[in-house]
Amino acid sequence: MKKKILSVLLAAAMVGSLTVGCGSNSSEEKKDTAPTTEEGKETTEETEAKTETITSVAKKEGDTFTVGFDAEYPPYGYMDDNGDYTGFDLELAQAVCDLKGWKLVKTPIAWDSKDMELNSGSIDCIWNGFTMNGREDDYTWSDPYVDNSQVMVVSESSGIKDLAGLSGKIVGVQASSAALELLQDEEGQKKLADTFATLQEFPDYNSAFVELQAGSVDAIAMDVGVAKYQLETRGEGYAILDEELNTEKYAIGFRKDDTGTRDQVNEALKELVKDGTFTKLAEKYDIADMVCLKAE
Amino acid sequence: MNLLEMNHIKKHFDDLEVIKDISLSVREGEILSIIGPSGSGKSTLLRCATMLETIDGGEIRYLNDRAVYMGENGRAVMPKGADAKRIYSYFGLVFQNFNLFPHYSVLKNVMDAPLHVQKRDKAEVKKEAMEWLDKMGLADKADAYPYQLSGGQCQRVAIARALASNPKILFFDEPTSALDPELTGEVLKVIKSLADLHITMVIVTHEMQFAKDISDRVIFMDKGVIAQEGTPEAVFSSDNARMKEFLGRFNQN
Amino acid sequence: MDFTKILEMLAGGMLKSMGIFILTLVFSLPLGLIISFGRMSKNKIVSFIVKIYISVMRGTPLMLQLLVVFFGPFYLWEANIGGPYRFIAVILAFALNYAAYFAEIYRSGIESMPSGQYEAAQILGYSRAQTFFKIILPQVIKRILPAVTNEVITLVKDTSLAFAIAYTEMFTLAKQIAAKETTFVPFIVAAVFYYIFNLLVAVIMEHAEKKLNYYQ
Repeated sequence: MKKKILSVLLAAAMVGSLTVGCGSNSSEEKKDTAPTTEEGKETTEETEAKTETITSVAKKEGDTFTVGFDAEYPPYGYMDDNGDYTGFDLELAQAVCDLKGWKLVKTPIAWDSKDMELNSGSIDCIWNGFTMNGREDDYTWSDPYVDNSQVMVVSESSGIKDLAGLSGKIVGVQASSAALELLQDEEGQKKLADTFATLQEFPDYNSAFVELQAGSVDAIAMDVGVAKYQLETRGEGYAILDEELNTEKYAIGFRKDDTGTRDQVNEALKELVKDGTFTKLAEKYDIADMVCLKAE
Repeated sequence: MNLLEMNHIKKHFDDLEVIKDISLSVREGEILSIIGPSGSGKSTLLRCATMLETIDGGEIRYLNDRAVYMGENGRAVMPKGADAKRIYSYFGLVFQNFNLFPHYSVLKNVMDAPLHVQKRDKAEVKKEAMEWLDKMGLADKADAYPYQLSGGQCQRVAIARALASNPKILFFDEPTSALDPELTGEVLKVIKSLADLHITMVIVTHEMQFAKDISDRVIFMDKGVIAQEGTPEAVFSSDNARMKEFLGRFNQN
Repeated sequence: MDFTKILEMLAGGMLKSMGIFILTLVFSLPLGLIISFGRMSKNKIVSFIVKIYISVMRGTPLMLQLLVVFFGPFYLWEANIGGPYRFIAVILAFALNYAAYFAEIYRSGIESMPSGQYEAAQILGYSRAQTFFKIILPQVIKRILPAVTNEVITLVKDTSLAFAIAYTEMFTLAKQIAAKETTFVPFIVAAVFYYIFNLLVAVIMEHAEKKLNYYQ
């Protein structure tokens, strides 16, 4: 997925250099008006080089700490009754900022653009029920703080009881999600996914659940925490299969070279575990049985 | 004094020579008609005189003020800026298709150029505009829009508009050709009334009787040259073969 | 979240959508005119460059252009794209995109003007600027108004694309509330908001067309 986004961006950057050049009259920028293929390649290399040269600077008191999150991902990040962004992850981020004297900026992002947002520095981290398994080398990770699992949600009336029962069925999954990556990974659950009739991608859980209710999909793969929230708010009629797709861990994803901020956040998280804030928040969001961060 | 002098004018479109070395002049107070078959170059000559076309050779002077001449690169030099403003103020043009501004009322069509090009006093301009409209028999149409008028009325507004800028010389490019036959009379009548005001006019027309009646001088053009020139009596009774053929065709129609 | 709160939230989001809408028009309508001059320029290089610009803007998705305008400065020049740039990028991308469409609409209108209007103005001594702004442009506006109305209505709906670079306008808020409430109610409210706004736009444009009907 990341590669796909990168390639789209590079194509876009080339288009961009063209359009920017056309829009201006200054002789300096006119050089960019007609990029040849070779110039295009140079841009590619430059882009990759630059991505890696953002220096890691630890934050000071009074600095802003910008968290990128998907605001359609309860209970980790979502909009509360007052229209403010909240959730377990965002409250935890607030607690970290309080401790460090940072100003928290909550930036809801388009999940598909999360890597561009992070690499360009418009956000400091992705903190939003972000699965680290399978993405270990793509980010600088904090200590994992939630034991998550990917599960299948089916409608109770479907009669599907286990993963084998999904053979020949239509299975839905959120685009760009960890569940999708897992189902496409040779070392993950690709073999299982190959038994499905179709693996259908959805932009959000609302449309997925309506299709499940309508019977146009037979099951939806998602994080267990999300599944619990959905089942609780939607009421009767759905079931989570006991058999899990995998177990994995949530952590906070930082820019590849940004170990400075990562270390500061890790340190703060440990303190929050020690003073009990972490557990209190986990209980508030009903995920106390899933958290895995220890003080030591 | 000669209001207009055109010396050795040449004009071609691609390979087609439309004006072949024509010279003519117009005296103050004179009424000159230009007649001739279609394609003889009479409208093009008028468009060259009014600088709607760029000449390929020769020189044009208004009131001895050089308007268009040939530059060193062999191309015509058109007036620019303040020169253009002065030279355009010497003449007016009435088009075959009126070319009124459809989004302006009749009065605004007449007033706008004196007001915003010549920057004259508004009250004075309005008074004069109303006088011209009155002379054209259109005083009651001052607030109407061009689309509400007949073709004849439109052409009379166009004449008033041309006169409102107080030109020294007024050109007419086939002023009745776009009109229904029953409407040409009213326009010709108006042009005749201008003759009584001693306004200098150059008229390209197909109305032979009108040309005969009104003109001090008639030019018969054929194939890009002046084939006959003189008093109406002399030109219309000339034994020039082309002129006879042309008039003969007219009389048949 | 109760229904009044949803209404209140989405009304707030609508203001942001309207902000995109109004600023895009403020910048793209004049810019489109300038671009149309470039497109009609006698200078072949200028008209060719502008032609390519229009072709790229109309030939690639607005969503991709938003990504390029927002992330491009960082990837190309390592520019800081934090802070207010997100909103600036939204307006920039929308204005650049819509200006290309408007430029072609202006061009069609200007090129449809009979040459007699220019000639009459020239003979009467109007300057080039006077000819364009007093004689040509008012008539062009009347001619192109229906085509402009089409674009303007499309723009209202296109504002929802701003979320591609994480600018939370009304539709994004509707999605977020829908995720939290696990219902489609916010989308219905959003649809009603869009419809009412477009109705308003249509009424205003119709009124403008009627006002210009004083001549033919």
